[in-house]
Amino acid sequence: MSLLSFAAKQPPALPILVGLWIVVVIGLAALNPSAFSLFTVTTVLQFSTLLALVALGQTLVVLCGGAGIDLSVGGATSLSAVMAMLCVKGGLPGAFVLLACLLCGAILGLINGILVTRLRILPLIATLGTFYIYSGLALSLTGGAAQSGVPLWLVPWGRGVIHGLPLPFLTLALPAYLVAGLLLGWSSWGRWIFALGYNERSARLVGIPVDRVRLIAYALSGLLAGTAALVSLAWLGSGRPNIGDNLELTSLTGAMLGGVSIFGGRGSVAGVMAAVLLLVTFQTALLQLNINTIWQVGLIGALLIAVLLADRFSTRRR
Amino acid sequence: MRSALFGFGARETTLLAACIVAFAVFALASPYFATTDNLLTILRNSNELLFLSLGMTLLLAMADVDVSVGVTMGLAAIAVGQALQGGWPPLLAGLLGPIAGAALGLVTASVVVLGRIPAIVGTLGLFGVYRAAIFLALGGSWLSGIPDGLTRVLGARPLGVPVAIIVVLIAYGCVWVLLRRTPFGPHLLAIGGSEERARLSGVAVKRTRFATFVVNGILCGVAASFYVATYRNVATTIGGALALEAIAATALGGTSITGGRCSLLGTAIGVVLLRLLQNGLLLMGVPSLWQSVVTGGLLLGVLAFEVLSERVALARLNIWARAAS
Repeated sequence: MSLLSFAAKQPPALPILVGLWIVVVIGLAALNPSAFSLFTVTTVLQFSTLLALVALGQTLVVLCGGAGIDLSVGGATSLSAVMAMLCVKGGLPGAFVLLACLLCGAILGLINGILVTRLRILPLIATLGTFYIYSGLALSLTGGAAQSGVPLWLVPWGRGVIHGLPLPFLTLALPAYLVAGLLLGWSSWGRWIFALGYNERSARLVGIPVDRVRLIAYALSGLLAGTAALVSLAWLGSGRPNIGDNLELTSLTGAMLGGVSIFGGRGSVAGVMAAVLLLVTFQTALLQLNINTIWQVGLIGALLIAVLLADRFSTRRR
Repeated sequence: MRSALFGFGARETTLLAACIVAFAVFALASPYFATTDNLLTILRNSNELLFLSLGMTLLLAMADVDVSVGVTMGLAAIAVGQALQGGWPPLLAGLLGPIAGAALGLVTASVVVLGRIPAIVGTLGLFGVYRAAIFLALGGSWLSGIPDGLTRVLGARPLGVPVAIIVVLIAYGCVWVLLRRTPFGPHLLAIGGSEERARLSGVAVKRTRFATFVVNGILCGVAASFYVATYRNVATTIGGALALEAIAATALGGTSITGGRCSLLGTAIGVVLLRLLQNGLLLMGVPSLWQSVVTGGLLLGVLAFEVLSERVALARLNIWARAAS
């Protein structure tokens, strides 16, 4: 696949996103000029890292089509963080935190994949069930209390900044998006994902291992949730059982805003990254202007509908 | 068609059996569980979910979904509560619930059907918008101390039967008639089976979907009136998790998102089973934090059990067929 055709895959929503982002930044500049500093950029990227990782997993699952959706990403993030901390409390060495987060996330994602591809339970229902179980377990295993005891050597990485760019963003989110973009654009696995999302029947007929690709997509979504859990541990210095709250909604919003079709087979990781940055910039701007957080939820919802409507009517005109 | 729509099928039997087993276990474990008081509590707790799940059943049968039903109910509840505080006669205030619900249903229908946005995404956006609207309408505080006029009307028990049960029966009956005696039912299931094929065979897809979203809104409004009557306050967090519970109860009840299959009876039993388990586990001293684990486990357990038992039955059939030939 050439660079040109990959660029042509950019969603029509991308110019809208960039335009909106400029509007948000100009609006913030006009209303509160003192909010502008390198610190703001760092904060935005710091907050973006969690959402970016989870939204990437959500994107992979949705791209695979077959009504694919992962409502359990938030629960998986919380449970991975909690499980890793419980492992440490149970006496395992601190280095185990890394492995525990990723492993736990991957296993939770694999469970989703098995429910969807082996038992043929609809993704919406299957991941709704696991969402309840994962987030419920995270709460009930800890009684709702944050778990301390993150190894000290992890925190400098989680809070570190180079040239205004937070280390977790530089070392995890950015590479993850680059790798995902490369794989989706240039590997056969990536083409398979687009193919089976676009037309599952044809994909099966040409011999693409549809179920295996989907299973891996769900496992990757879980793995990315586990990675987000790791970032939260290193950043906050404790495992919070509610760290993943609302991530299923915001990650889905990010993917949709980024131009990923809910029916699968269309979308790009670049769009999703742009959408995540827009969402977090927006939230930070509202925070700087002292606007209540509940407004963020409402405005993000309105934004989602507005962008989709604009997208709909612009494609209709073409 | 009849058996697919309304029959007492395998799923209903499984669920009813689960209800009976759970009931027996809880009754043995806790002397308080089987008292009339507690059973009425379970029923009262199921009330809103029964209405919301009824709407969700229609939507899921049509391969649509609405994740904003909880907050739609919340907004309608604010309308009812403020009307009561404003001194409206209780009956009129109670009727305001369904009217407000219908108006919100119109908004949802316009976004999803006329705007041609996939239901899950569109209602996700509306969830956020409604949530903020609730906050705006309440001004950050609770609506509390609502006069008990509506409570006396909807909490009454003519001939010993709570009004709530009567209204639930009427609502389920009306929807049953709508599905069974009018073209609406077959159209709904046809759209759920394949929207394209339904359109090609002459079903007014847009109109049917639009109407269903409005009906769903009305049911949210009815739930809102009962909510205000029961609790007499409205918090800013109202209805957050209700949509997911409604989807869970409906899926438990055997309504399939893709198959164009729906079961009103299954949905009702699903709701009651959910609330029965939550109540029973609480009485047995299980912390309420475990509730969502139980909900999720129940949902996946029932679905996985059915899939696996179907496969076992199929395998047996194959063995017999091979033996016969």
